[in-house]
Amino acid sequence: MGTLGWAARKLGGALVVLWLVATAIFIGIRLIPGDPAEAIMGGPGSQASAQALAAARAEFGLDQPAAVQYLMFLGKLARLDFGTSYALKRPVTDVMAEVLPKTIILALLALAAAWALALLFAALAMRANRFGAWLGGMVEIVAAAVPHFWLGAVLIMVFSSALGWLPAVDNGTAAGLVLPVLTLALPLAGFLTQLMRDSLATAMSSQFALAARARGESRLAVFWRHGLRHASLPALNLTGWAFSSLLSGAVVVEVIFARPGLGRSLLSAVLARDIPMVTGLALFSALVYILVMALTDAVQRAIDPAGAAS
Amino acid sequence: MQRNQRARRLLSSAAAFGIASIVLAGCSSSSGTGSAQDATPVSGGTLVYASGDAEPSCLDPHVGGNYPQALVASQYLESLFTKDSEGKIIPWLAESTEVSEDGLTRTITLREGITFTDGSELTAQAIKANIEHLQDPNTASSTGYLAVGKVDQVKVLDERTAELKLSAPDNALLESLSMPWTAIQSPAALERDQATNCAAPVGTGPFKVQSWEHQQAVNLVRNENYVPPVADPSRTQPTAYLDGITWRFIPEAATRYAALASGEVDVIDNAQPDTIASAAQGGTLGHLDAPRPGASNRLELNSSKAPFNDAKVREAFIRSVDVNAGITSLFFDTAKRSYSLLSSVEPLGISDEALFTADPAKANSLLDQAGWTERDADGYRAKDGKRLSVTFPVSTNQSVPAEQSLFEQFQASAKAVGFEVKIELLDLSSWYGALAEHDYDLVSAPYTKVGPSVLRILYHSDSTVPAPSGYFANNAQVKNPALDKLLTEAEQTDDEAQRAQLYAQAQKIVLEGYYVLPLYDQQNHFLYGAQVKGMGATTSVSSPIYTDVFLAK
Repeated sequence: MGTLGWAARKLGGALVVLWLVATAIFIGIRLIPGDPAEAIMGGPGSQASAQALAAARAEFGLDQPAAVQYLMFLGKLARLDFGTSYALKRPVTDVMAEVLPKTIILALLALAAAWALALLFAALAMRANRFGAWLGGMVEIVAAAVPHFWLGAVLIMVFSSALGWLPAVDNGTAAGLVLPVLTLALPLAGFLTQLMRDSLATAMSSQFALAARARGESRLAVFWRHGLRHASLPALNLTGWAFSSLLSGAVVVEVIFARPGLGRSLLSAVLARDIPMVTGLALFSALVYILVMALTDAVQRAIDPAGAAS
Repeated sequence: MQRNQRARRLLSSAAAFGIASIVLAGCSSSSGTGSAQDATPVSGGTLVYASGDAEPSCLDPHVGGNYPQALVASQYLESLFTKDSEGKIIPWLAESTEVSEDGLTRTITLREGITFTDGSELTAQAIKANIEHLQDPNTASSTGYLAVGKVDQVKVLDERTAELKLSAPDNALLESLSMPWTAIQSPAALERDQATNCAAPVGTGPFKVQSWEHQQAVNLVRNENYVPPVADPSRTQPTAYLDGITWRFIPEAATRYAALASGEVDVIDNAQPDTIASAAQGGTLGHLDAPRPGASNRLELNSSKAPFNDAKVREAFIRSVDVNAGITSLFFDTAKRSYSLLSSVEPLGISDEALFTADPAKANSLLDQAGWTERDADGYRAKDGKRLSVTFPVSTNQSVPAEQSLFEQFQASAKAVGFEVKIELLDLSSWYGALAEHDYDLVSAPYTKVGPSVLRILYHSDSTVPAPSGYFANNAQVKNPALDKLLTEAEQTDDEAQRAQLYAQAQKIVLEGYYVLPLYDQQNHFLYGAQVKGMGATTSVSSPIYTDVFLAK
């Protein structure tokens, strides 16, 4: 199959996914309690008059039948019109342009840090003795299992409150990024190391590794040139998934470290029943996910054409 | 007069000793260590404030009207009236006020020489523009809108005098006009579109909004032309020492406290009981305890349906729980137990401790008398095969973790006498939804307002009628014609003593009817670093003002 055909298939699939996500949002938002008109008029418990509520309903088309609203909704999305946030009274695209880069930077840094830590763990594990290997395994399991909110709180307690090395709140400086990035990266690093460890062991004891050793290459060189390449494939496969998990982890991390971003916006939008904001942010997250998946697919096609085609 | 002279003497001697912190508009009871006795005020520096509240979507407190808006707006907007340190309403931007014989015409005269931060002068036109802004449905004001509900029309008599025509006498009007939700903004600024005004409202306060980085901070800078409208000549003029305030939003309580402890921020709000207790042990952090006015925090019992339509069952529930033990174990005694419908800062509140002492034996006998004599397989009481079960939706936005734990203690102790309490933790929208559907038997709903007229909002039968949004304030569903009459008369009388007496009678009816279980004041705790001096001044709704506050070098 040609690259063009592959791209066309991906694009078609992406559009279907986006449509499904949009539809799920449209239905989901109508299932949760709370009157959207009330959200427009200042949130729950507001004492908006009947006239004000009616005016808000008319302005946002909420008085139309559900089918009409659905078509209007899709029509606007097709024109990339995400509307105005109910709560913030600002265009959704403006808010997204503000918060999205902040979350992407956080997620990319966390991904890079997770990979660096995973490779470090893997290299250490290879050199370790029995006890060291066991200890390393335990650390990986714990790292992979801890929830972000707990890890974030512990890191603040240790590095900010006790040692005073790093700020507890993200203040826009590089130092302020360290703890949020670590909170996101550590669990992922644990997970990636676990994935690599088995295939690394297999690869290092395989015929070609032994042959390379016999040729006189050092253990470390064999690790870098042969073992790691094999071992990292399964982990690389999951990087697309990992990135999207970082985006969801960002909700927690952005709240803990008071960092602006997509996750924090999404949380407050959901609580405020801010439909345009939730729709825009959810669709954008879906789009980012699709892009990253397509990208990892493309990388895999480049590294291992046979595997990708099968 | 004599009293004034004494006050002046006291103040001048205080000034000689370098006391710069005078609680100006304060109704606060500061237990802090950071008052200014130990330092001479210095100008300069930017204070970093960390709020645990959700970031307001609009910095103009006319729009919507919640407490987080009041906290920040108190720095750049001022009101016509305020409260003095004894809880008395005094003029602020206003110079004087008069009411007609029939109580239907209120005249307000403004001070001279006060300007907004856009350079325009404060004139009577501003009173008219602001009240009309509050009453405009497009503003979507809820708190301020209610506060000026009785104002039919505002007439500008001259540059400095406005006349308010009322639909009925309203002796709570000055209290209402003291709240940040009715603060006075520049009429020219109000004419901008709402998004623009929300981003940077223009007032007369000691600071002004410079910029707003969403989800990060609101940046306030000193208003260099600030003219403090000092009502009482014997008081020290409030002074803005700080160059500015960085108003941050740090939603996570543990992070907020860590940032304060490490010196990244200077002041935090929404301080939780455990951190207040540990700060007190540490001894370096200051603590400002500023209970909010209006209603106390209390459980309301829905008297419109079974089982709480029976007063015996209501009393049984109230007697079955031990509030005081919970305040000690969960709040570390940072909250003071209330036996009143009103906040302890409300001078007209009455208390009756005897009604609310825990007494499980009495609870059991009351339930026997009320006919809940069966016990089902799970140990709960039942009548005609129906379990004695009550639903308790709890808003996670409005109840701090310590309070949620307190409610779980109630659940356990009420079970001992045979109540099943079903606690439902809900987000704010779902919680309002449950109330609108009448899907509750117990509820805790805070209400902040200056003055005892909050009693009418909470307990008059009119307040059982839902607004178009489904909202109603009388959650206890008290419908009592005698009470209605008292509350209406109390609001209209021009006699202060009679007003106090009418409100006392009204409170007695509600307290003795076991419609509510008072818990404590609406908690409003601030912690601040040792470098922060002069904390203490607050508005009438207990939101701190950062005039007189300075950062020690």
